[in-house]
Amino acid sequence: MMRLIPFWGCMMPLKYPQMELAIRKTLPNLGIELVDVDGFTCCPDPIYFKARNKIKWLTVAARNLAVAEETGIDIITMCSGCISTLKEAQYLLAEDPDLMAQINRRLKRINREYKGKVKVKHAVVMMRDDLGIEAIEKSVKRPLEDIKVAIHYGCHLLKPSQIMRVDDADYPSILDDFVTAIGAIPLDHDEKLLCCGKGCMDDELPLEMTESIFASIEASGADCMGLICPTCFSSFDMGQIMIARQKGKTYNIPVIYIFQLLGLAQGLSAEDIGLHTHRVKADKVLEKIV
Amino acid sequence: MPKEKVVVDFRFREKLNKITGGKHHNYCYQCSACVAVCPAARFTDEFNPRIILLKALLGMEEALIGEDSPIWLCTNCYSCYERCPQDVRPIEVIIALKNLAVERETAPANLAKLSENIAETGMSVTVSSAVNRRRQELGLPPLKTIPLEELKKILEEDEAEEPSSKKRKGEP
Ligand code: SF4
Ligand code: SF4
Repeated sequence: MMRLIPFWGCMMPLKYPQMELAIRKTLPNLGIELVDVDGFTCCPDPIYFKARNKIKWLTVAARNLAVAEETGIDIITMCSGCISTLKEAQYLLAEDPDLMAQINRRLKRINREYKGKVKVKHAVVMMRDDLGIEAIEKSVKRPLEDIKVAIHYGCHLLKPSQIMRVDDADYPSILDDFVTAIGAIPLDHDEKLLCCGKGCMDDELPLEMTESIFASIEASGADCMGLICPTCFSSFDMGQIMIARQKGKTYNIPVIYIFQLLGLAQGLSAEDIGLHTHRVKADKVLEKIV
Repeated sequence: MPKEKVVVDFRFREKLNKITGGKHHNYCYQCSACVAVCPAARFTDEFNPRIILLKALLGMEEALIGEDSPIWLCTNCYSCYERCPQDVRPIEVIIALKNLAVERETAPANLAKLSENIAETGMSVTVSSAVNRRRQELGLPPLKTIPLEELKKILEEDEAEEPSSKKRKGEP
């Protein structure tokens, strides 16, 4: 058993608990023990909170890291926003000792200190690097044969690669390999690496961007979208409802979190992993699974 | 024809230098590599990261952090950070500019709405009884208590270190 602290963040436990459910159901099948600890807050979010004040953003991130550090157990995150904040905070604090001292002065008010020792990884990176793809393959009871998955990498898992150190940001393969390991077919499409647009503070631009992605996925003939980020999920699941309402175009592309796909391949039912909570129903994918 | 005079506001550049990540604006050599990969620039002509950097180099405070600045159109995708040959980290310069706009109170109104939850509740999403019910229905454990007292203390203002008033080493 490998013991790891899950850093859930906010989006998963509060907005999309089905994603948390999928993680809690699938990782133990891979020999991972999730050690829940007290004391975390929001990572905090790398877009809005950071836009207000970078020092406060770093302080809250460093506090979360310090809380984990005290336990001596490493962290995994399942959210691209959380991994972005925690990794960038670690990078900036390691790069600049003055900044580290400034942030630790704030943490001293609560008798905490961030030392820079705790390791933070995204769950998929831990699975590839520490467990190995074969371990994922071995946990599969029902390969998702013939299911064509249009992967959406999103931005923060990969970029900046200088900090994230996950994959080639222009030609990533980590999620393609993951989808292949569970027996499904990863499909390329023109807008595979386009940002979902959620972080843009405009009324129209984000919708135009998601629509380009949907059109590209539709043209690819994929059965569903497979993604890794809860923020992207809101752009694409609820996003399809918005596009239908505002532009009168219905895509009907099920949006499935990569660990939900793993759950299906491990033999779990759609209910077990909360697929029924999604706005766009996954029936056409489920019908293909026998 | 007389040459047009270029005026640089170094005071504003100094201010930007003092925010984490702001100093990197100095490294921009205007190559446009960031523009080629920027999704916001692809979808609207109103946004262009090279031009934002040019305005930063000229110290154009009003254009960058006045009302209706285009900086808020950035999608936060990090493609420019990935591509920039000069380690400008354009998105981080843009976020530093956002910090200055917040200080000047020219940020869009919904920014506060999107972020105030964290300082008040420790979470970006509101914790409601509906959330707890949904978790229960899915068989998930109850949410952990959030250490609000600690959060409040570390977020308290510290006059000595606030961004634009923060003194650099060697300054009076
Ligand atoms: S920010 Fe970097 S990529 Fe963009 S114009 Fe300047 S030097 Fe070139
Ligand atoms: S982070 Fe912003 S400026 Fe940089 S490429 Fe993305 S949208 Fe453009």
